[in-house]
Amino acid sequence: MLEAQKLTKRFQDRVAVDSLDLRIEPGEIYALLGPNGAGKTTTINLFLGFLTPDSGAARVAGTSVAEDPVAARRKLAYIPEMVSLYPRFSGVENLDYFSRLGGHARQHTELYELLARSGLTREAADRRVGTYSKGMRQKVGIALALATGAKALLLDEPTSGLDPAASHEFSRMLRKLAKDGVAILMATHDLFRAREDASRIGIILNGRLVAQYSRDEIKDQDLEKIYLERLSA
Amino acid sequence: MILGIARKEFVDAWRDGRFRLGAALVLVLLLVSGLLARQQVARAQGERDAATALERKNWLEQGDKNSHSAGHYGVNVFKPTSPLAVFDRGIEPFVGTSVFLEAHRQNQAAFLPAQDATAMRRFGELSAAVALQMLVPLLIVLLAFGALAGERESGTLRQILSLGVRPRQLVLGKALGLGATVAVLLLPAAGVMAFLLARAAGPEATGLWARAGGLALSYSAYLAIFVALSVAVSASTRTSRTALTILLSIWALNCIVAPRLASDVIHQSLPTPKLAEFEAEMQKGVMEGLDGHDPRNKRLADFQRDTLAKHGKTRVEDLPFNFQGLVMLESERIAGEVFDFHFGKLWDRIQAQDRAVALAGVGAPMLALRSASMAFAGTDFAHHRHFAVSAEQHRREFVRVLNEDLMNNARPGDHRYAAGRALWEQLPVFRLEPLPVHDAWGAARAGVLVLAGWLLAALGTLFFSAGRLRVVNA
Repeated sequence: MLEAQKLTKRFQDRVAVDSLDLRIEPGEIYALLGPNGAGKTTTINLFLGFLTPDSGAARVAGTSVAEDPVAARRKLAYIPEMVSLYPRFSGVENLDYFSRLGGHARQHTELYELLARSGLTREAADRRVGTYSKGMRQKVGIALALATGAKALLLDEPTSGLDPAASHEFSRMLRKLAKDGVAILMATHDLFRAREDASRIGIILNGRLVAQYSRDEIKDQDLEKIYLERLSA
Repeated sequence: MILGIARKEFVDAWRDGRFRLGAALVLVLLLVSGLLARQQVARAQGERDAATALERKNWLEQGDKNSHSAGHYGVNVFKPTSPLAVFDRGIEPFVGTSVFLEAHRQNQAAFLPAQDATAMRRFGELSAAVALQMLVPLLIVLLAFGALAGERESGTLRQILSLGVRPRQLVLGKALGLGATVAVLLLPAAGVMAFLLARAAGPEATGLWARAGGLALSYSAYLAIFVALSVAVSASTRTSRTALTILLSIWALNCIVAPRLASDVIHQSLPTPKLAEFEAEMQKGVMEGLDGHDPRNKRLADFQRDTLAKHGKTRVEDLPFNFQGLVMLESERIAGEVFDFHFGKLWDRIQAQDRAVALAGVGAPMLALRSASMAFAGTDFAHHRHFAVSAEQHRREFVRVLNEDLMNNARPGDHRYAAGRALWEQLPVFRLEPLPVHDAWGAARAGVLVLAGWLLAALGTLFFSAGRLRVVNA
């Protein structure tokens, strides 16, 4: 699971994340909504250990990120807005390399299978990544999360720029991962996807988590209206 | 983990068409320069052998003549070319290749290959050594500047570190992969070089493999320094453009600025005398003695008095040998002392300059490498000095045999005395015993030690740079 306790990060005078308390259980998809500069990516970076918090703590499956960032990272997978891959390597070669780095070397047949489960055909898997669309790259990212058997998944604007079909496909995979017990934190602007996929939604503004809603709470409500009201409050 | 990163780096580099093009160019340059140098060395060797044979024939067939006249007839001796000159020509083009040996005079080596060259030589000479010293580091810079800074820009660094890879593992893997890439690039050239060396015959080939091993070690250390520094800079800079700018500056300082600067500074601080001044000092030493208070005429008069006293005679005509021959032997001894003193001082100074250049390698590793490379290749000043000293020893033996013949066989005042082929044949052909391998290692020591220091520092910097690897600038 993913847990933040009074997590705070300042950049000089500006508070990027302010006393964030958050707990995402296995199987849960948590959508963190907020405008640009609200603190979404900083939160992700704090969970990854790329930033050191000024106070508070982030934990991944019980491991403190500040105390042992490498061990914490080994328990999670990360999919950014655009999954970065090596353009001179094929999809399957990229997956092979990254899963080895994650400590999960796998046979090529398994890698093809994981890519297929993520929606990438064998022909596409053998093509150099330089020719991939964004959606195809995200699929390799999902395959990597599957390959490393991550307990938690951090997503930073994962569906931004995807066409509706690719976005839908991505969501389907995400729900599947959650069903398998993965705790998912998704920073996003995409209200539609948040409503469709998230079991909980948090709104972050100026580094503060200003509201949280469960899926049931917003079931019949207009998320866009709630969101805009919170922004203008 | 580290090997996996290295393997990926290796494959990625070879899949890059730009690298393959650059690598092909470097490889072609290395092979062409090696083969051209082989051709030049073989031609020079052939010319030397032919000239040596002709000199011997002329010497033996000079006819009957006074042995002192034969001393003035003289012989030329030629400097053999080191088989490793194929790799590094060192100072060979700028020092003489032959010495004219004659009575009374200690001539310096003459016929500099650089004198026969066209103005194009101003652009420098391409040899395998120069390609490895200058071009391969440039290729390493171009290959490595984006090793980590590029990954940061493309986002893959974030991806890698998010998987729990330790920065140190990543940095070491990158360096290892780039090192392996360069090693594989150079393998064909090394193979061709080994083949050419294996075919090198003759006494010059003694200790060849030990010398080649020294060269391989020195160049490996030098290129490893560049790989480690390039990866370290790439890890420590925010953008690949900054990394490239810094690395190109380091390359230019090392390969272009430092050699010229070191040469000028060292020449200023450890100057060598001008040729005219040096020869005037030599002449003065012969005429007035090394201390300037022992004129030659007085010394020879004393020598005559002592010789007559020793044999209980009052006139040189009564001595049981030709006194003129003995005087010539004595004159040669005196001149030899002056030669040893002045040339010893000059050569010590030149070797001090060479050592200073090697030590200046503390600021630029190419200087240390050049020094070690020439020493192992047998084309540095220590090897040239060995030739000059051996040629002078041969000259002294040559003149001694002729003077002793005059002393023992010519009657005083008999200007018609003539020696013949039997005497000429007593004088051996000049053969230069190669400088022992341990002497070559000795000459290379300063350069090798400085390179070792650089390698340790570069590896330390690489290790340290891992701690500076940042994904997010906070």
